[in-house]
Amino acid sequence: MFHYDFMQHAFIAGTIVAIMCGAIGVFVMARGLSFITHSFSHIGFSGASFAIYVGWDPLEGLLLFTTVGALSIGRMGVKFFRREASISVMLSVFLGLGILFLALTPQSGSFTSTILFGSVVGISLKDVWVIVILTAALLCLLTLGYKMLKFDSFDPVGAEAAGLPIRFISVAFLLLLSVGVAEAVQIVGALLVFALMTIPASTARHITQSVFMMIVVSAVLAVLGVWVGLTLSYLTSAPVSFYITAFEALCYFLALGWSALKAKYQPMKMAA
Amino acid sequence: MIKKFCVDQIDVYINGEKLLDHLSFSVQPGEMLGIIGPNGAGKSTLLKVILGVIKPQHGTVEITHNDRRPVIGYVPQARAIDEEMPIQTWDFISLGLPHRLRPWLTKRDRAVIKETMELTDTSHLAKQPIGKLSGGEKQRVFLAQALVRNPDVLLLDESTANLDPKAQEEMASLVHELCVQQNISTLFISHDIHLVSKYSHRVLYLTRGHYTVGSAEEIIDNANLDVLYQLQHVNGMAQTAVETMRYGG
Repeated sequence: MFHYDFMQHAFIAGTIVAIMCGAIGVFVMARGLSFITHSFSHIGFSGASFAIYVGWDPLEGLLLFTTVGALSIGRMGVKFFRREASISVMLSVFLGLGILFLALTPQSGSFTSTILFGSVVGISLKDVWVIVILTAALLCLLTLGYKMLKFDSFDPVGAEAAGLPIRFISVAFLLLLSVGVAEAVQIVGALLVFALMTIPASTARHITQSVFMMIVVSAVLAVLGVWVGLTLSYLTSAPVSFYITAFEALCYFLALGWSALKAKYQPMKMAA
Repeated sequence: MIKKFCVDQIDVYINGEKLLDHLSFSVQPGEMLGIIGPNGAGKSTLLKVILGVIKPQHGTVEITHNDRRPVIGYVPQARAIDEEMPIQTWDFISLGLPHRLRPWLTKRDRAVIKETMELTDTSHLAKQPIGKLSGGEKQRVFLAQALVRNPDVLLLDESTANLDPKAQEEMASLVHELCVQQNISTLFISHDIHLVSKYSHRVLYLTRGHYTVGSAEEIIDNANLDVLYQLQHVNGMAQTAVETMRYGG
């Protein structure tokens, strides 16, 4: 299958996006932002639809809408957006907007499917380069801010007490997340970004003992999911995103079972 | 070592009500100042004023060091730690290190963490996930995270709350020992008069809009203590406990 250019592009882009999703997903889980990630994918959907409507590249619309969304959420405060009502209003409004832009665009049928479910096999060499540059920038910033982000994500009260700029960290992370979502939407689609950003990190949480290992395992699982998805999709013609989510979900339930077994057979530690 | 730690005439209003009224005191290096007072008296607010999180409407907090910017270590009252997250005690303590942009630990960082863990008796917990520790162990780890920054001033907000009496005693004794050994000016908030009087060099008794600073004996002998614990309303056991503190036995 590697003699096809589109498969080479798919594997390169898929691997890079998976590494990014796996790494960023650990902080998404630690900060309790999984549903905000889901909201970003819906915002991204309307952004991509808008781009198609005005004749732009879908990635440009995705980036524009998700980054503006990140800044708005950061300005209003993440706590406000964690409210159930706020999230459901956001999801509905942006999904509605996306549908409106697609309805206004003639012959938008194939775009709808691409944005909602992803189209990893339709990625051009130019798209691969854009993904490589964006991911490299994103991972560099994540590495540079790793210590502060880890502190604020795993011990928010302690981070505030130590004088960290927690508001800045929160907005900066939302911006990184919005760029990550915009990239991942192209691979797994708006509906399943959530899966690649959260399931590998949730699995890693059950089988690792440190934050660093959680990032490594989460990234490895995301990459394996994309590789399995692409290979099986090539062989069976079923959608890539189905195989990715099925693989990630299988790993998650196996890890959950292993973790439960480990807890059952480990001697109980008495709490003081 | 700090040159000066002085709270001078501070006024703080919360929701239009005066919580701290012309509050003044100073703390010496290596001195442990216990803070007691009823709920809502402004104890935690005072620590936040010292941290610079809350700006007083009047007065100043002056902390100066002989040759560098003073470092403040703070152990907050409530801590939200996700017990499912795989963060080891060693890693958790390392979060308190002062550098911000270097993602890795140097040899020096590792030595500082090791030394702090030995001081706080948490070395044996190094590889344990923080979420699986007991209440007393967690408090020692929180203290270690604040100490790893090598603070000149240490602020502890009810660090012994929710611990059993033995763990409370161990924690207060550890804080006292570290405060004296490391020359750290320490503010220790607690509702336990026994702990405060036993381990603090002086006591700040705070009620809404009023305060008294003095030795533990002076504060305990002061009639204000009856107001603080509203002895006319509590049961005989509490009365006996305070009487024991006052007269021994």
